[in-house]
Amino acid sequence: MSREGLEAQRNYPLNKKVREYFWGGWCMQALWNYERQMNTAFMWGISKTLDRLYPKPEEDEKKKERYKSALEFFNITPQFGAFVLGLTAAMEEEYAENPDTFDPNMIKSVKVALMGPLSGVGDSLFQGTVRVIAMSIGVSLAQNGSILGPILAMAISFGVSFPITWYGAKLGYLNGQKFLSQIANSNLMDKIMFGCSVAGLMVIGGMVASLVTITTPLAYGETLILQEVLDGILPKMIPLVLTGIMYFLVKKGVKPMVVIISCFFVGIILNYFGILAI
Amino acid sequence: MLQAILIGLVAVFMVLDSRLLGRLNFERPLITCTLVGIIMGDLKTGLLVGAQMEMITLGMMSIGASGVDMNIGSITGCALVISSGASIETALTIAVPMTLLDQLLTTVADVIRIQLCHTCDNYVEKSEYAKARRVHILYGPIVYSVFKFIPVFLAVYFGNDLITAIVNAVPDFIMNGVSLGANLISFFGFAMLLSTMINAKNCIYFFLGFAIPAYSGLGLTAIAVISIIVAIVLYQLKFGDGNNLQTAGPSDDYDELEDDF
Repeated sequence: MSREGLEAQRNYPLNKKVREYFWGGWCMQALWNYERQMNTAFMWGISKTLDRLYPKPEEDEKKKERYKSALEFFNITPQFGAFVLGLTAAMEEEYAENPDTFDPNMIKSVKVALMGPLSGVGDSLFQGTVRVIAMSIGVSLAQNGSILGPILAMAISFGVSFPITWYGAKLGYLNGQKFLSQIANSNLMDKIMFGCSVAGLMVIGGMVASLVTITTPLAYGETLILQEVLDGILPKMIPLVLTGIMYFLVKKGVKPMVVIISCFFVGIILNYFGILAI
Repeated sequence: MLQAILIGLVAVFMVLDSRLLGRLNFERPLITCTLVGIIMGDLKTGLLVGAQMEMITLGMMSIGASGVDMNIGSITGCALVISSGASIETALTIAVPMTLLDQLLTTVADVIRIQLCHTCDNYVEKSEYAKARRVHILYGPIVYSVFKFIPVFLAVYFGNDLITAIVNAVPDFIMNGVSLGANLISFFGFAMLLSTMINAKNCIYFFLGFAIPAYSGLGLTAIAVISIIVAIVLYQLKFGDGNNLQTAGPSDDYDELEDDF
């Protein structure tokens, strides 16, 4: 039983370790595959830790076993992957310290247990909310020809993603298990999801009302201009109704490509008969 | 030729964003089309095509490798619109077949990556850990890059004459109809986005976000700021300290951790 590996890992500078887990997270999808998804990424992120923990040739069996365990199925939102890597690294240390009492299956079960909930929150936070807010601001500026649009969109995305990944890795490594029991008690996940859905939905509503202009040229003489009537009731009613129709199609499970191609034909027809216009 | 290579490299940048940078949204049409515009010397068209394609595809989430995305199609469409002088909406009509081609090639790349995953297993079995690491961090991104670079390069290099010929041959009323169709598709994008988060309880926030700009004419930046404020206010009302005073003990600790987050 050697303690050298354990000391090497514990004495390795904290920020360098965190940097490994950070990049492990960001590179989560470098070899995404249908068999085990992000498995090689997890191995890559934890590999330096394992190398430090088991440096001697006679420990190679153990090291190989840990590598193989890291290569099992894994999937997560990349930014949160860093947290799981940090947490797993701390548990690998614990296992290296107490190989007889610590059950390595615990590492596996923590990994598996975190995949679903963290991906759920991660996708709604990064894809559903941050991306939507960043891109809606970016699009509205770019429509006016301002290069600030894409720049701001990049800055917002980076500004959220970087600190969450970095501090997630640090938190996972230093305090992961304690943090997990706390979020289980406080329903933090549900609370974040709630905040995300409020902000995300409001911005989507805003996009429907302000990003795309579609009006109707239909009129009966000069006295009845349909668009003016509609504007008097609810401005942007046509975009709202169109969103409703499309939502119905999405819920029906119609394939995206089918809708996209049909839209071209519907657009040509509606435009030709003067029912809708841009 | 040089331009086609550079546009191909934009496609490589696009795919590596989600592979090596944890998906910083640099892959989105708004960003990549702007880059295309800069490379081709027409920033304004790049921005407009980017904004148009972004709206249409905002709802197309690509999680992992599943789902549709039109990132490759947007880059190609933007480049060809600029080089042929066609209308902005033409980008979408180029993006659709390009997306189908991309999906086909992606399937081939998927098979290769499963093989690479096994290669990685074998290296670990033979205790060649450095090689196993390299499979992940080098070979994976190379496979992704090659499969994005080649179709974009070929389409941009050979597509220009074809697109110009088609655009000249098609009558105006069809082109206008296609433009209307492109705007209709934007609503499909919004609807897809909605479907992932809306339910009977929270749909009121969607209508709130809709009603403010519809009646006031405020821009989206204003709505984004208001939405974040509303989310925080509601969060405080719903989960604020006042509601769980009984758990005051551990809550000190909890706040500290939340800051870290």
